[in-house]
Amino acid sequence: MKLDNMFKKNRGTSMKRIAHRQTGPEVPEGLMRKCNQCGKAIIAEEAEQGYYICPKCGGYFHVPAYRRLDMILDEGSFQEWNETMPEQNPMEYRGYPEKLAAMKARTGLDEAVVTGKGSIHGTETVIGVCDGRFLMASMGENVGEKIACAVERATEEQLPVILFCCSGGARMQEGITSLMQMAKTSAALKRHSDAGLLYISVLTDPTTGGVTASFAMLGDIILAEPGALIGFAGPRVIEQTIRQKLPKGFQRAEFLLEHGFLDAIVERSRMRKVLGDLLQMHGKAAWEEQSQKVAESKVSEDRTEKSHVSVQKKEAWDRVLLSRKKDRPVGSDYIQALFTNFQEFHGDRLYGDDPAIIGGIASFGERTVTVIAQEKGSSTRENIQRNFAMPKPDGYRKALRLMKQAEKFHRPVICFVDTPGAFCGIEAEERGQGEAIARNIYEMSALKVPILTVIIGEGGSGGALALATSDEVWMLENAIYSILSPEGFASILWKDSTKAKEAAKVMKLTSDCLKEQGIVDNVISEPEGFTRENLYLVTGPMEEEIKRFLNQYGNMLEEELTEHRYQRFRKM
Amino acid sequence: MKKILIANRGEIAVRIIRACREMGIETVAVYSEADKEALHTKLADEAICIGPAASSESYLDMERIISATIVSGADAIHPGFGFLSENSRFAELCEQCNITFIGPDSGTIARLGNKQEARNTMIAAGVPVIPGSQEAVYTAEEGKRLAEEIGYPIMIKAALGGGGKGMREVYTPEEFEAAFQMAQKETENAFHDNTMYLEHLVLHPRHIEFQILADRYGNVVHLGERDCSIQRNHQKLIEESPSPALSEDLRAKMGDAAVKAAMAAGYTNAGTIEFLLEPNGSFYFMEMNTRIQVEHPVTECVTGIDLIKAQIRIAAGEPLQFTQKDIHITGHAIECRINAENPEKHFRPSPGTIQDMYLPGGKGVRIDTAIYSGYTITPYYDSMIAKLIVWAHNRKEAIDKLRSALGEVIIEGIDTNVDYQYGIVTHPDFVNGTTDTDFIRRISL
Repeated sequence: MKLDNMFKKNRGTSMKRIAHRQTGPEVPEGLMRKCNQCGKAIIAEEAEQGYYICPKCGGYFHVPAYRRLDMILDEGSFQEWNETMPEQNPMEYRGYPEKLAAMKARTGLDEAVVTGKGSIHGTETVIGVCDGRFLMASMGENVGEKIACAVERATEEQLPVILFCCSGGARMQEGITSLMQMAKTSAALKRHSDAGLLYISVLTDPTTGGVTASFAMLGDIILAEPGALIGFAGPRVIEQTIRQKLPKGFQRAEFLLEHGFLDAIVERSRMRKVLGDLLQMHGKAAWEEQSQKVAESKVSEDRTEKSHVSVQKKEAWDRVLLSRKKDRPVGSDYIQALFTNFQEFHGDRLYGDDPAIIGGIASFGERTVTVIAQEKGSSTRENIQRNFAMPKPDGYRKALRLMKQAEKFHRPVICFVDTPGAFCGIEAEERGQGEAIARNIYEMSALKVPILTVIIGEGGSGGALALATSDEVWMLENAIYSILSPEGFASILWKDSTKAKEAAKVMKLTSDCLKEQGIVDNVISEPEGFTRENLYLVTGPMEEEIKRFLNQYGNMLEEELTEHRYQRFRKM
Repeated sequence: MKKILIANRGEIAVRIIRACREMGIETVAVYSEADKEALHTKLADEAICIGPAASSESYLDMERIISATIVSGADAIHPGFGFLSENSRFAELCEQCNITFIGPDSGTIARLGNKQEARNTMIAAGVPVIPGSQEAVYTAEEGKRLAEEIGYPIMIKAALGGGGKGMREVYTPEEFEAAFQMAQKETENAFHDNTMYLEHLVLHPRHIEFQILADRYGNVVHLGERDCSIQRNHQKLIEESPSPALSEDLRAKMGDAAVKAAMAAGYTNAGTIEFLLEPNGSFYFMEMNTRIQVEHPVTECVTGIDLIKAQIRIAAGEPLQFTQKDIHITGHAIECRINAENPEKHFRPSPGTIQDMYLPGGKGVRIDTAIYSGYTITPYYDSMIAKLIVWAHNRKEAIDKLRSALGEVIIEGIDTNVDYQYGIVTHPDFVNGTTDTDFIRRISL
């Protein structure tokens, strides 16, 4: 029996009647729109009241400039600069003035960028926002001029700059004048940077052409919105040129992150908070004021000795095994335990983002520090994803980039070393593993800010030293630090890798031996059965020690500091 | 009103389609891909598929339901219960698109959906409310201080809550902080809002709710109460009318309060005012449900009024055909919810195909269901599959009839709570009518 048949006899004949109504239900104009990503109908207001995000698929719509300012800045804090600019038509291109007039009428904007000053969570900043509705936010003389003026004024007023980028590239109608805007804006940013000031660029969909090849890619910190198209040549042009289909996700924000060109992808709902935190952590007085505060707080002098006293006697091989133990806390655990507000920055800005090294800035007390850690991950899946903390050249170059950034902003660097060694593989050699390690050692030796390194697990050879050419090197009681793994040592010198246990003994790779030799300055004792659960027993005293370190080195003159570091290694 | 789209599924959609058919109104069912074979899809004059199985992409997708309404040429939407029935934004959309939403207007839904605002309305109208916080609470510290003022035990609730989500009972100040944080977390996850409020926890209360009907012309009547004290984790299992706990006097007093509450809210259409009744006879307004209730059939049985038809008539702009004087409660009705779940395995839902079934009948036995032999219950939606409602001259007879009818129910192929319900209706406390909302927890211990 079919249910349909059963119900048929119940059906009224009215079905065939066609409803003719004058004022029947209808959807009023503008109430709903179609998402251009998922194609589903959505209530327009719902997207526009929030973050211009499709409530169905989470896809991002383009945000008008003034709405963007509302989303990012403290209410009522925005002061616009250069609201109107004299019209330019350098090539006397026919129809261009009419086109501009039409654009102005349609968007209510004077040009494709809005610039001015405002504040986020109370911190003042210069801000510029491109609006893609205006000739694809292409960069002509006025766009370049407004950005250059804003950056110059920021330099003058000692303010950070945030630019929300979005552009189809240079404005064709203005010819070579457009091209020169790339130089003008970049040059203004260089002066701003040389004055020690912060520039954050935020790349939104689409950021392409001359804008990508100038101000968009010059941020001290480069953020992007999820899924944003970012590239120099547009995908269509590339496809036509090379006559190949481009892979999915090519030139999207995620692709750039993987290739080392973005510090982070930030969702729209979190953007204001992230920018506010970054501004605050780069506050003018962050370094000087804080070092004073630390200087005032008394730090007990005998702590170094005390922590050494409690080191227990153990066989070297036992320590090797402990240093590699699966449930031993890893780099990210220390970051979490010792710091707050960690902002991870990705990428080496050259080729890749190496997950074996994590780095960024974080708050230590009220002070901002740069933190870099070799990261093993805490499950097998994470171990594989992080390549067991064996960094590639990209990882070391990311670390160096972050150290140079720390130098610019006068903040100390704290490194956590935990690696079996630098990654040994074809692509690592292709991209210059040796060069990367050498460059790190070379640059670290003269970096003008304090560097502290803590070896928390394995300190594997050059792979470790590339993060340990520091003012002080500390070790956890059961960490190891050596020229080679005991297995490798036994195999090279004795042609028998099974003699690793004996090798460990003669290599003097344990904390007590290294302390004696002056290779490490401080040994931090561990509880029996050291895991994430009792990590606080280690990080508690470590925190006090770090305060002492920052106090001692933070107050040194730059020359004193680098001389001290030079001598530390000179005498070895 | 010529054609109604039913924005729901299951037995309530079937119930509404039947009422429409009896009134000569055409029906449009909407269904998800998982409900192609569902009874409401088959039974309606037209059926429109509105998306995949997940309710967020079908029965909760406002835009698709509005589009289906426009396309089918329906002039009204009946939202049933659950899904979009108490979504003020949806009601507003209907208003904007010139579609009649069968229920109160969007402003009323919004006002009553915000518990704090609802409470303030009731206080202003002189309807008794549970002593509790007057303003929204966002932090545990603030809450703890307020809790001291109100007096323990305390109930923590979500401002936008429902279905037991974001609720916690706290008996001592020591447990307060942890309980508050958990409740708030749950609320954030469920409703994307962290507004909480606190109130005095009424111990051993009965859940008494009054059905009201209000037309557009200011006429409000109540149709007596329903006693829904048999609940498991705040989910009702058995409901009856009248309540064995109410005297004529108390009924009149509470009924008056209910009518006053509906008037204060400017309410139209069918609604339910929930009260907590303390053993000493004090009662407190809890919340107003701005939709038809699952348990509406017991009221229909004792009053003879078809609530769905009344809803449609009110929405069409007709005045009420009766006044309070015309409402007489006759006999006793009990409803028992039959769920596809396994009481022995922590009430785990039990989807599957119904191999065979037999449902009871006879005088005073009513079954509202959407299942049929060969129907496959999917795991995507609520596990309630049928409601067994009995009516008799008095409570004892009604219980006897319910017991007899429950004993006849056969549903093969899935697990159900029929035996569990049988255990409840034969329990001496239930038979004596001395239960409270803690009854199920007590007998499970």
